[in-house]
Order: sequence, then C-alpha cells, then structure tokens
Amino acid sequence: MEIAVRELAETARNLRVPIHFAISDTKARYRRSALGPLWLTLGTAIGVAGLGFVWSELFKLEKSHVLPPLTIGLVTWQLIAGCLTEAPAVFYRQESLIKNQRIPTFSLSLQLVLRQVVNFAHNSIVILAIVAFYEPAGLLYLPLALLGAVLVALTLWGLAQAVGYLGARYRDIEPLVISFLPILFFLSPVLYTPQQIGARSSIILFNPAAYWISVIRDPLLGKIPPLSTYVWVALIAAAIWLIALQATQIGRRKLPYWI
Amino acid sequence: MAYIHFDAVTIDYPILNAGSMSLRKELVAISTGGKFLREPGAKVTVRALDSISFHIADGERVGITGHNGSGKTTLLRTMAGIFYPNVGTVTVDGRISTLFQLGAGMDPELTGYDNIIRMAILNGASFAEAERAIPDIESFTELGQFLSVPVRTYSAGMMTRLLFAVSTAIHPQILLIDEIIGAGDTSFQERARKRITAFMEQASIVVIASHSADLLSSFCRRRLRLEHGKLLEE
Repeated sequence: MEIAVRELAETARNLRVPIHFAISDTKARYRRSALGPLWLTLGTAIGVAGLGFVWSELFKLEKSHVLPPLTIGLVTWQLIAGCLTEAPAVFYRQESLIKNQRIPTFSLSLQLVLRQVVNFAHNSIVILAIVAFYEPAGLLYLPLALLGAVLVALTLWGLAQAVGYLGARYRDIEPLVISFLPILFFLSPVLYTPQQIGARSSIILFNPAAYWISVIRDPLLGKIPPLSTYVWVALIAAAIWLIALQATQIGRRKLPYWI
Repeated sequence: MAYIHFDAVTIDYPILNAGSMSLRKELVAISTGGKFLREPGAKVTVRALDSISFHIADGERVGITGHNGSGKTTLLRTMAGIFYPNVGTVTVDGRISTLFQLGAGMDPELTGYDNIIRMAILNGASFAEAERAIPDIESFTELGQFLSVPVRTYSAGMMTRLLFAVSTAIHPQILLIDEIIGAGDTSFQERARKRITAFMEQASIVVIASHSADLLSSFCRRRLRLEHGKLLEE
C-alpha cells in the first residue's frame, strides 16, 4: 500500500489544487452564459416541477407528498450519476497532465468529485426551497443530511479512483458504466420511496445507492435513518476504499503507459 | 541540498494491444528505437532504460544527449517522478519543475490571469506565490489587457509567451528541460533565452535533454549520453 498511501498524503498536502480546479472548472463551463452556474439550480427546479406535476397527476398524489422526496432523490442521484459517468475517463482524459507532471491520482479523482459537489451545492438551493415550503420540520435535521452528503462524497471519491484505474486500463468500462446507469436509476429509490415498494425489497437491500440516498433524504423528510443504514454506508465505503487503494497500488506505476 | 540519485534503474514499457488503445502511439515508440523484449504470454515490452545509475549533486548542470528514441525523455520523466522504475530506485530531494510539454492544466475558457493561478498552483506554488508571480509575468509577456480575456482568443505566439512565462515564474530547486521549444518571433526568442538563463541560474540542479551541441556546451559542464537505453557518460 506504500504508493497508494504516499499518493493520499501528497493529495492532502496540496488540497488547494483539486479544490481550486473544481471551482474554476465550473466557472469555465458557464463562462459565457448570463446565469452562470445558477443554470444548474434552474435546470433542477424546472425538472422537479415538471416531474412532480406529472407524478402527482398520474398517481393522484398530493404534491406535498411527492415533491420533497422526488427533489432530494433527483439531486442526490445527479451527484452519484455525475461521478459514475465521469469516473472511467478521469485519468485518461488527463493524459497530457499525467505524462508531463508528477501529480497524485487521488487529487484528480477528488477534483472530479468536488466538481460534482459544487453542482450538488447549487442544486441544494432547490432542495432547501422545497423542504422549507412543504416540510419545514426537516430543516431541523439539516446537519444530519450534511453528514450524509459528506459520507456519500467520500465514498464516491474512492469509487471514482477505483473506476478511474479500471477505465484507464480497459476502455470498454466507460460505455459499460453509461449503459448500466439508467438501470441503476430505476432500481434506486429516486422516483419512488422505499416505503412505496416495501422497504424490505431486495432492490433496496442490495443497492448501495439506496443507502446513499437514504442518509441524505430521510433527515430532510423529518425521519432519522436507523443506525443500520449508517453501518451499511460505512461498510460500503470501507470496501470501496480498500479496492481504490489496491487499484492505486497496482495501477499507479503502469498508468502513464496505459493512457 | 538538492540531489538526484539513480540506482540501477530499469524501465520497461508494456505495449498494450487491446484494439485501438493508443496502438498508433505505441507503434511510433517502436519505430523510433528501444529494444524489444518478448515475455512469455506474448506481452511485448520495450526496454526504455537499461540499468542506469548516476548521482547528480547540488549545483550541477547536466546535459543529456542521444539519438531519437534513445531514452532521453524517459530519463527526464523518471527523474520527475512521472514514470516509476520496474527495477532499481530513484531518490530525489528538492522541488522539481519541468519544462516538457507546456500548457498542462490550462483551460481555454478562462482568462489569462485565471490560468496563471491554475498553472502555478499545479506546479506546486501556493496561492500567495502565484499572486506574487503575476507582475513578473505581466511584464515578460507584454500581453497587457489580453490577460483579462479568455485565452481561447490568443494567437499561437501569445499563447507561447503566456505558457513560457508561467512555467518559468516559480523558481524550483531542480529544473528539468526537454528540448526548449523554439516558438514565437525572433525578439521573443531572444528574451526567452535571457529568461531561461536567469531561471536556470537560480535552480540548484538543471538537467537538459537536447540535440543541440551548442546549447549543451554553453550551459552544461557534465554530459550523460544515452544509447538504446544504456548510459554512456562523457
């Protein structure tokens, strides 16, 4: 684990690099638009309004029951899906950087996750508005939801690192991940809640994304997730990080030749 | 005290033949030199560096010579910590800066100033150091108001001036240079030469790979000569 640990230490020493790059990447992306990154917020608001309307009409449900879980679910899903979509290419898209500069790969995967966290932060404005309007009591548990978001982001960092190495070695990983994302979306409690399909259903029990959504969504709906959910989140994170460290240990030496 | 120490360093490039996975690039690597090794299991590797040992001490100016594909670039990149040796050890003490391919970390949508900060912190500078380097970059590039507009609007010459100025703005202890790029107009080249000389004088160790005998003899007292990945010191 020597190389992997050294990479992590180097990343921690130069944390300003991924943080600054994540923010300035986002600035660059919206440079020439009038609203800038607020387009993220507006886009989410429009999406949620449309889906919420259709959903509540279709199933004859109260908007106050549909909108809060739907909004939080969709925004959390965007965080997860955003990381997964970009993860396979996170190293090979940075070929010129990796071949010309000594840079810890953990810094590059962290930069990717932080970029998605910046998006998530913009989208959270919609969550806060919807929750304040429909479920004001949920705001009391905001710190718990933030803790959940931090746990999920840390897990996604490890995941991006592991998938990044896999994607650098095997170029089939990127289309593979992108093909499976829609299935994962429908298997995850984004458009519905676990209660609606029975919380003990296996697609909830064996889906990591269900736990990640739960630790962010439940507190804001005024429900404290059970301890077992946090145990699962921690176990999944530990497993993913072990794989990420191992992938770095094996792959780091070979990475410049793969990309 | 800065130093670079190589102890029996060997680097083998694996050649991946999964479909189109940068196969063309690998073929270029083959056709320009390097020795072939065929491992059991038919995985082809090229031995780019072959059991290389040397020590570069503080204050040395070293030139690397050799034919195309003899391993000059690989050697520099191994010194920089980009390539990891398969066998042997590399020990380096000191902050390294590289002048290889300019422009890593640049984003065309951002302004010249934004890109200065990005490239400088990527080179290991703190925010304060990056800010302090700005007046010097302003006066060297003579880009004036252009530094406030996105760099996608720059001409090739303006881009070279900016990239070169940023790469040489933060003073490293160890400076590694691969074939100084001859771009821009003649007056720029003259100023670039002056700047790089000043830059090199401030570094503790400078290693340059080049074909130009003039350049090497004016800067370097010591030569490392590479042939097919083996080291022959002059």
